[in-house]
Amino acid sequence: MPPKKDNFFSGPGIRTRTARALLSVGALAVVYGIASEIGRGRLPDRIWLGTHYVENVQLLPPYPSLAEETTFLLESGILTSSIAVSAGRVLLGLLLGGAFGILLGIATGRATRAEYLADPWVTFFRFTPALALLPLFVLWFGYGEGSKVLLIATSVAVVTILGAHQGVRSVPRVYLDAAAALGASPGLAFRKIVLPAALPHIFASLRIGLGLAWVTIVVAELIDARMPSLGYLLTLAGAYPRVPTMVVGIATIGALVLAFDLLALWVHARATRWMRRTA
Amino acid sequence: MRRVPTQRFVLGFASLAAMVLAYTVLSNAHLFRPEVVPPTQEIAVAFTELVVGARPPPVTEGDMHAGHHGHSSAHVGTLLQQGVTLQDSLAITAARVLFGLAAGVPLGVLLGVLMGWSRRADDYLHPLYVLLRSVPPLALITYVMLWLGHGEAHRLIPIVYAVAATMVIPAYHGVRDVLVTYVVAARSLGARRWLLVRKVLLPAAGPALLAGLRYAVAIAWMTAVGAEMLMSENGMGNLIVGGGLWASRTQTKADPAVVIVGIVTLAAAGWAMDALARSATARLTRWVR
Amino acid sequence: MTAPAPRLEAVDVGYTYPGATPTQALEKIGLQVHDNEFVALLGPVGCGKTTLLRIFAGFLEPTTGSVRCDGATVDGPSPQRGYVLQEDAIFPWMTVRENVEFGLLARGIDPAARGAVGGELIELIGLSRFEDAYPKELSAGMSKMVEVARVLATDPAILLLDEPFGALDAQTRARMQDELARLWERRRKTVLFVTHDAEEALYLADRMLVLSPRPGRVKADFRVDLPRPRSLETRFSPAFSALKRRIWETLS
Repeated sequence: MPPKKDNFFSGPGIRTRTARALLSVGALAVVYGIASEIGRGRLPDRIWLGTHYVENVQLLPPYPSLAEETTFLLESGILTSSIAVSAGRVLLGLLLGGAFGILLGIATGRATRAEYLADPWVTFFRFTPALALLPLFVLWFGYGEGSKVLLIATSVAVVTILGAHQGVRSVPRVYLDAAAALGASPGLAFRKIVLPAALPHIFASLRIGLGLAWVTIVVAELIDARMPSLGYLLTLAGAYPRVPTMVVGIATIGALVLAFDLLALWVHARATRWMRRTA
Repeated sequence: MRRVPTQRFVLGFASLAAMVLAYTVLSNAHLFRPEVVPPTQEIAVAFTELVVGARPPPVTEGDMHAGHHGHSSAHVGTLLQQGVTLQDSLAITAARVLFGLAAGVPLGVLLGVLMGWSRRADDYLHPLYVLLRSVPPLALITYVMLWLGHGEAHRLIPIVYAVAATMVIPAYHGVRDVLVTYVVAARSLGARRWLLVRKVLLPAAGPALLAGLRYAVAIAWMTAVGAEMLMSENGMGNLIVGGGLWASRTQTKADPAVVIVGIVTLAAAGWAMDALARSATARLTRWVR
Repeated sequence: MTAPAPRLEAVDVGYTYPGATPTQALEKIGLQVHDNEFVALLGPVGCGKTTLLRIFAGFLEPTTGSVRCDGATVDGPSPQRGYVLQEDAIFPWMTVRENVEFGLLARGIDPAARGAVGGELIELIGLSRFEDAYPKELSAGMSKMVEVARVLATDPAILLLDEPFGALDAQTRARMQDELARLWERRRKTVLFVTHDAEEALYLADRMLVLSPRPGRVKADFRVDLPRPRSLETRFSPAFSALKRRIWETLS
């Protein structure tokens, strides 16, 4: 199987790779289509929900019904406004949590005292599932926007603190020595050496934070659950249950996460063009 | 140099103590309602009640303000009535986390190794992986429930899924980075494939895998608690929301004292599991510089 | 005529690395480097050459004795003593130009003046084509030359070079040595050059100090009276061979 022809030194070109990617995604789409057609009328449509039965459930909604649902959600404006609201919360939380986390992480990375003081708290929040803070936030900050954004910010801050801290700590000694030998003041060395060298770590943690933010929003949007929001759309669809809505909702969230991730990757690549890349 | 650990300990402890003290003073200063910011001693009482599990004699509002040291709320009351204790809830959640790890880690590692090992598999599977990974595990929970019914499986699947998705990347990168350097060297020494996997690939990809595992442990706790908050009648997530947060969507009956007890317990449990993972890492990768 | 004061001087310098098993790296080193002199410090791996250079650069404080630069005790790094580290220390996130101009930026020199000095030096090392490239596009030899140019940009009186060509292949190494010799003849400096390669030391230096293995001590002091500019001819001249022989005899 491996080396010989199919290894990383003499792999197929980008065209073959794109073709393979399209092929496998296409295959998945076709398999779903076939499965949903076969399933129509064969999969159970009466589902026991623990307390009661629900009728007319399409476990695998076929494409026409998904298309119909998407059209409805789009035309009524539910989907677009939900996307805008949820993505807005994620971005705001990311901004707040990222800024706080990066600043604190840099501080603990630079000053050992700050690290020792912050250490127990970083450890504490690191192992506290951010979602568990939800009831507390609701009590303290109310049902409004604040709790949701703060919850996202918390989950983002925890990872960015660690990322920035590690980034600052792992700046190779030689760069700092070289800068000092060239007469750089601590301030200049920080701006021109420490920050750029820590950037890859910081970006990596922001990307993880972004992923966590989307996990958090799905739950956070159950507070003061009201439309429009993607989290509530999913819960509502689950309560009926309305599977086409659910599938469209899940796919939408997935697509948004993917889009955000690609955007983050692109920004990262642009900001670290200087880095050596392998393969 | 030898004094550094002491300083670390002293400063860390001081910072913890200062925060707890500040909270105690603030929460006892009658600035906030105790239902919102419970005084430290009430949190301690709630902790004891939840561990002991016995129903305390009902306390009236008047008694509490008279300085009676008791803590009771609808939240604690409901939990105790259901026979819920802190340690049971923790055990249940830990069991779910462990199951998620036991099933999810091999699954994720297998996929990661496969994609890292063969360029062809990578080309076909990576796009699908990226699509799947993009879906937050907790968003799936209601849909999975329709398929599998209201049982244990639909709570476990998101955890397994989250763990597996987390483990793919370290396995993938571990294998791929190793492949380029060591495997070529080992193959040229005439190593057979199985030997290659056992003696070269796994040890060399080990550090990446173990680092991924530590992250997966945190993700598993988070997903487990989230899933329990959403739909479970037991476990730490249920303890924290008192089973009532989603049932009545406009109002929470959560008692902050219970939530704080729950959070501290979760943090301690997560930390303990990470410490285990860390010592395993140190033991298994002693050769790493 | 009185002897001119040495630019660099080590008096009874000793250094012991602290730790669970303290290691004595240097013992009673005494040496002097005079103005515009190119001195090579030769010794086997692990004899404390790098330690000595780091002490001269101001990154380590000697355990015993003292080091002086122009009569003043060294107490920390200074751009007056340009220091090229043994490791790759080119800043990968800066272009060649930004790297070369970094020392000037640190001095607060305005962009126009920085550009002029930077451009000149980049041209001098023959990398004008790469001035806006990131280090990842350079070969190992080019990167090292950028590091040398980066140090030269601040116009230090003294250059401390720590095995700058240690990681290069023999051919690139020879080319870099020519390059450095040419650079030095154009811009005379006081140089202290650490190497474990006797031939490299001979080819470049006016004077050569041989260090003994751990703990390092000055074992021999040779004057290298080969004519300058040196070239391929120098490497194969009888005088070169004779000196090389003497060094080998000292080392064994």
